Amino acid sequence: MKKQYLSLFLAVLLITLFSSCRKDTIKTLLITGQSENSGQASSEIIRQILDETGMFSLTVIAAPGEGENMSGFKPAFPKYELIVLNYGGGAWPEEINAALTGYVNNGGGVVVCNPKSDPLSGVPDNMTKSERHDFEIRTVVTDHPVTAGLPSRWFHPGDEITHGIDASGEDVQILATALSDTAFRGSGRREPVLVARNYGNGRIFTTLLGSPDDPDNAAMHCAGFIVTLQRGAEWAATGAVTQEVPFDFPTAAGTVLRPDIKATDYETAFANIGSYDIPKSTRYFTWLQSQIRKAAGDEVALLKLEKGMVNILEDGKATVEAKKLILRELSWMGTDYSLPAIKALEGVAELKDDVRFAEERLQISN
Amino acid sequence: MSKRTSRREFVKHSAAAAAGIFVVPHIVPSSVLGMGTGMAPSDRVVMGAIGTGSQGMSNMRDFLELGKAVQFVAVCDVDAVNLKRAKDTVDAANKNTDCRTYGDFREFLEKEKLDAVSIALPDHWHGIIYTEAVNKKLHVYGEKPICRTIKDGQTIVAAVKKNNVIWQTGSWQRSLPNFHRGAELAINGRAGKISYIEVGLPDGGRGIGTPPVKEIPPELNWEMWLGPAPKVPYRGVSHWNWRWILDYSGGQLTDWAGHHIDIANWGAGLEHTGPVEISGTGVYPPEGIYNAPVEYDFTCKYANGIEMRVANASRLKLGMGTTWHGDKGWIHTDRGNRLSASDPKILEEVIGDNEVHLYKSDHHWQNFIDCIHSGNQAIAPVDVAYRAVSVALLGEIAMTTGETIRWDPDKQEIIGNPRASRLLSRPYCQPWTLPTI
Repeated sequence: MKKQYLSLFLAVLLITLFSSCRKDTIKTLLITGQSENSGQASSEIIRQILDETGMFSLTVIAAPGEGENMSGFKPAFPKYELIVLNYGGGAWPEEINAALTGYVNNGGGVVVCNPKSDPLSGVPDNMTKSERHDFEIRTVVTDHPVTAGLPSRWFHPGDEITHGIDASGEDVQILATALSDTAFRGSGRREPVLVARNYGNGRIFTTLLGSPDDPDNAAMHCAGFIVTLQRGAEWAATGAVTQEVPFDFPTAAGTVLRPDIKATDYETAFANIGSYDIPKSTRYFTWLQSQIRKAAGDEVALLKLEKGMVNILEDGKATVEAKKLILRELSWMGTDYSLPAIKALEGVAELKDDVRFAEERLQISN
Repeated sequence: MSKRTSRREFVKHSAAAAAGIFVVPHIVPSSVLGMGTGMAPSDRVVMGAIGTGSQGMSNMRDFLELGKAVQFVAVCDVDAVNLKRAKDTVDAANKNTDCRTYGDFREFLEKEKLDAVSIALPDHWHGIIYTEAVNKKLHVYGEKPICRTIKDGQTIVAAVKKNNVIWQTGSWQRSLPNFHRGAELAINGRAGKISYIEVGLPDGGRGIGTPPVKEIPPELNWEMWLGPAPKVPYRGVSHWNWRWILDYSGGQLTDWAGHHIDIANWGAGLEHTGPVEISGTGVYPPEGIYNAPVEYDFTCKYANGIEMRVANASRLKLGMGTTWHGDKGWIHTDRGNRLSASDPKILEEVIGDNEVHLYKSDHHWQNFIDCIHSGNQAIAPVDVAYRAVSVALLGEIAMTTGETIRWDPDKQEIIGNPRASRLLSRPYCQPWTLPTI
């Protein structure tokens, strides 16, 4: 018994130390269902999605399944700043529901993922789903912290659209909708897909996206699902969103998948730009362009990007197509730092036009 | 042929005269020209077409509907299939088989003796071909946007001015009554003093990912299609869909600038100037060969205090079209003969004799032909078209750089930003160069 306490103490100590390394992480409880395998699989992805931000310290617990004894299930909601519900089982006892409602009333945050019953009205079994398909989402509220800065139209892959959500409650805001096409057993109406609710002193964010599906699970690997969940979680916990909208948020041009959930970082991007060739994805190059725009006016940040670009020009293993893309970008944003690397490519036959293009433009202000 | 040439010379003389239509009384008044009344062959405007894709053919059909007022005699395209279709159309109209065909605009311009040319090409070709046509003293009906870069536009404007030819931009909304009426109400202060304008242009569409290199269709001269643009292998994108690729176009933003931004300028008295500060953001497809922004939202400030917001329609309450906001209300106009106002009474207002009466045209293609005869300026002249697309091109630069751009509309220079200034022009792929004036 003593030993058990000691290990628990050590675990708590380690968690505390680990937590203190991360600045102000949001203490988060992820409650999963255990009634189905996909519930567990989806909880693992949700955990990865929240972890990716570095903002949340997660504890995961499984609620008893349908028909199981609930008497021992008493989550200590007030210990957490955020409760994430990815639960697909039966109704909880009244006292747990009351505790959760009280928690939100007192300023707690809740995220509801792809609920099986209406998370707003609490009325079960009046929800239906469309067939799985790709569809366009419209961001209908653009001044809410969760959706500020998102594209007004974006595509989402392989998901079901939920019908029957009652969004009439007080302080409920439908942030994004999708037309549920009757061709896919849809309702023929625009249905909510992202919903925010201010409740008492707290906040509830509901995503109706991300219905898990084997084997690809595209709906949960959609960059739009991932990013709106990350933003919704931060908002529910804090009332604000500090995360930037990433370059790969989907647009009207099509869906965007993140097979490994992760956002693109500097090292990954530059490693991949150097091996670009037709017809590979251009996403790492568009990442670079987005970073240049973001760094506008910040010469230190711009020089860091320029150095990465010059490294590709000087890299014997980098492809001709990669160097072409880099030369085009340097032609307008480059500084004196780039000039030797550009000049050094003057003799490369395949790059003749591209080097001339860059040199002609850069000389304008040099 | 000699008669046609003399007619052409005559047109040029009358164009130089200040009030051609009055000093040459035998010229048929413009309104009669489209009615198919007997017209002397010498009064016909002899035309050719460069670029006979969908828009080029659409313009050609609009000209052919004018009957004997125009005669097409030659067509030019880098796509043999399009070229054949154009020749067949012209031959059917002329009831002969004489329409001459060219795959190279240089040969077309060198050999053909024309009065006017209708040009509809991807934007990256506008700088060279518009300028070369005007340098040949041809009157030009040119598609919007008139240029891909500010530098291209400045060159075209200078060429038109120097050669003193009639220029009509394909900004045909100017010749529709609702746009004219909306702009005239706005410029006469019926919504009060204008302080804010919203311009809604189309959203971008679906991408096609990153297709592999494909075999060039046998009918297409791909190298000539690219021309001054960077050399790239053919990946299945040429006609029409060039507008989603930044090497050839600025996307919906620049494509539609010559419509709703042009109308906005018209009704706000901004057609001969430009903004002084431009800032905003674009939404770019995260990947794919189509790289033009699918959404855009930027604001231009003018020296007189007016602000103009240009955005894709999904972001705006009134969606597509132009909305002038004044201190007494607003006026909105869009395609589909739409004209509305904050108070319906605004729309019933009469414009008095001493107020501003905007240029009136009932038929955009007829107006071009009329002006060739009269020597008057057409309803969509080149400098005005340049100012309209400049707004979009400066917005594009603000979005590309992520910076607030300061612009001197008189000197037509970006102030204090060398990086952004580089984006005012583009080096051309050899052997092409922008013609000198």
